Amino acid sequence: MFGQMVYRPLVERPAAPPAPVGMQPHSRAHGWDETSERSIKVDPNVNLSLCVGEGSLTVNGWNRNEVRIFVSKGSKFSFRVQMKSPKTGEPALILAVSEAEAKNKAGSWSECLHGEEIEIDAPPGAVVNLKGQETTTVVDGIRRVSIKNAGGDISIRNVSAGVSAVTYNGDLTVEQSSGPMSLETTRGNILAFDVGPSEIGDLFKAKTSSGAISVQKLQFRQTEINSISGTVVYNGEIQTGGSYSFGTSNGTIRLTLPLDSACTIWASYGGAFNSEFPLKIMTEDLKGGWVKSITASIGKANNTMLRLTTNNGSISINKQQ
Amino acid sequence: MRQDCLEIGTIQAFIDGELGSKDVTRVSAHVAVCDSCAFMLGEAEDESAVVFPALEREFNSLVPTQRLWNKINDSLTEERQSRPFWQKLWGTLSAGLLTPSMAAAASLIIVVGVVALALINRGLTPTQTASTRPVVTSVSPSSSASTDRVISPTTPESTIDPVAPPARIERADYRPVVHRSPATVSDVPAAAKDTSSAYMPGEESYVRTIASLSRTIADQKDNTIRGSERMSFERDLAVVDDAITKMRAEVRKNPRNESAKQVLYSSYQNKIDLLNSVSQKEELVASLK
Repeated sequence: MFGQMVYRPLVERPAAPPAPVGMQPHSRAHGWDETSERSIKVDPNVNLSLCVGEGSLTVNGWNRNEVRIFVSKGSKFSFRVQMKSPKTGEPALILAVSEAEAKNKAGSWSECLHGEEIEIDAPPGAVVNLKGQETTTVVDGIRRVSIKNAGGDISIRNVSAGVSAVTYNGDLTVEQSSGPMSLETTRGNILAFDVGPSEIGDLFKAKTSSGAISVQKLQFRQTEINSISGTVVYNGEIQTGGSYSFGTSNGTIRLTLPLDSACTIWASYGGAFNSEFPLKIMTEDLKGGWVKSITASIGKANNTMLRLTTNNGSISINKQQ
Repeated sequence: MRQDCLEIGTIQAFIDGELGSKDVTRVSAHVAVCDSCAFMLGEAEDESAVVFPALEREFNSLVPTQRLWNKINDSLTEERQSRPFWQKLWGTLSAGLLTPSMAAAASLIIVVGVVALALINRGLTPTQTASTRPVVTSVSPSSSASTDRVISPTTPESTIDPVAPPARIERADYRPVVHRSPATVSDVPAAAKDTSSAYMPGEESYVRTIASLSRTIADQKDNTIRGSERMSFERDLAVVDDAITKMRAEVRKNPRNESAKQVLYSSYQNKIDLLNSVSQKEELVASLK
């Protein structure tokens, strides 16, 4: 399920000749108008870092110990080898930096890659660290990824050993991936589907300020999901011994659990509390002014804990069909 | 003094070489037989010997500089110290006023003096009392003799007295005056602004962090988040503030309401995260430039 790699043959893309003046309106203004491609032989577990100033970015895993970057209608770039692997002698820590011959809007030299489209192919064991402005990012089939974008959607698939993704304005989607996960967007929705830990103790965190969080088929035992003004939807198993926290200030929490689920629920809510599961109530406070609370258990008592908090919304716990 | 004694002006003109040959002969002859005029001539020569070397470079350069005034002042001070008061006064006035160059110099000295007095008076007016001046407190109880000057947060920096002693920032025990008043916490919900003693355990650190972050991003957010993004931010902030206000009221009503406490703390944390996101975005964008 996790880390399924798809072999992508290297497509030879000879560097395009210099484009005529006026052909690339967005990059022409900056003096970046070239289509370029470079590759470098690397260690299988290479760590690649780069920043993207402009353009959509795609990172793909391929079955070659080689990193290739293709930039269309953008800046020239080069690789900087920071460290070589003692085992293989190949580059293990590399940077991709722009060879910009023009200054950016702020008047300073930028090392960020610019282009209409930026494609990166890296070994399946690669770790990729990305920073970007308004950048649409797609990552597929590598070992670990860390992304921090000022804006733009992020879509991640088939990452085997951890995801850290932040966008301050955009949606965030993670599928079929494993490892510790930290997903954060300030304004946007978060969707996580079929994700789980790669090691015991891995944590899943998802946080948005303005947006909904939807999680399905999650296999983490340690889970923190929080939104300020958005709905939280969870559809999946509750792992024995797990600790789950779902919170929203101004939204609804909807859980859909398997029929045989067993856990203890501590819920604090401002609206209504509904459960399709029979509850064994331990404590209940319905007289509180702004906040009501309930502590109850579902199924056989165990040490699995669900903490549900919504200030102004309702909570519903439903059975999976 | 004899009736035909020379005037001080004539003596000074004699020294300055401004007399004609006839007058020079006359003065020389008189000084040779008149003790008082000889004494006056000696005094005037002494003065010239003191003042003119000091002025030499300035006169040669033809550009009066601060160095000129320093040298004049030094020379005059030195002279004053070595002579009786009446002699200094008399010699300076008579020599200075009768010589155009010295008259100009004296005038300038007077002007400088008047300006200096005016500046001093302006900086320390008699009506300026301790209550209107920056707060001065003794921070270290063990050293009552040493006091530190601490500027009250309510005193704008521009009103700092220019003649007051400089703040002793090198002291290890220097501490700014800490105003615990919630008034400094501008972004704290109204319910949290009562007194610091009303804080629950750990709450005060949340409040302080929020206040600090609010101040930090006050300017940043105008540049960092705009349009609909800004609207979302403000809406979320309002949602969190509302939650904090409600939960705090709930906790005050019933301090044993653990649920309300939990929600209150998580709302504080939400607000911190929200405010942090602005500065983090600013940092990210700056790092990409």
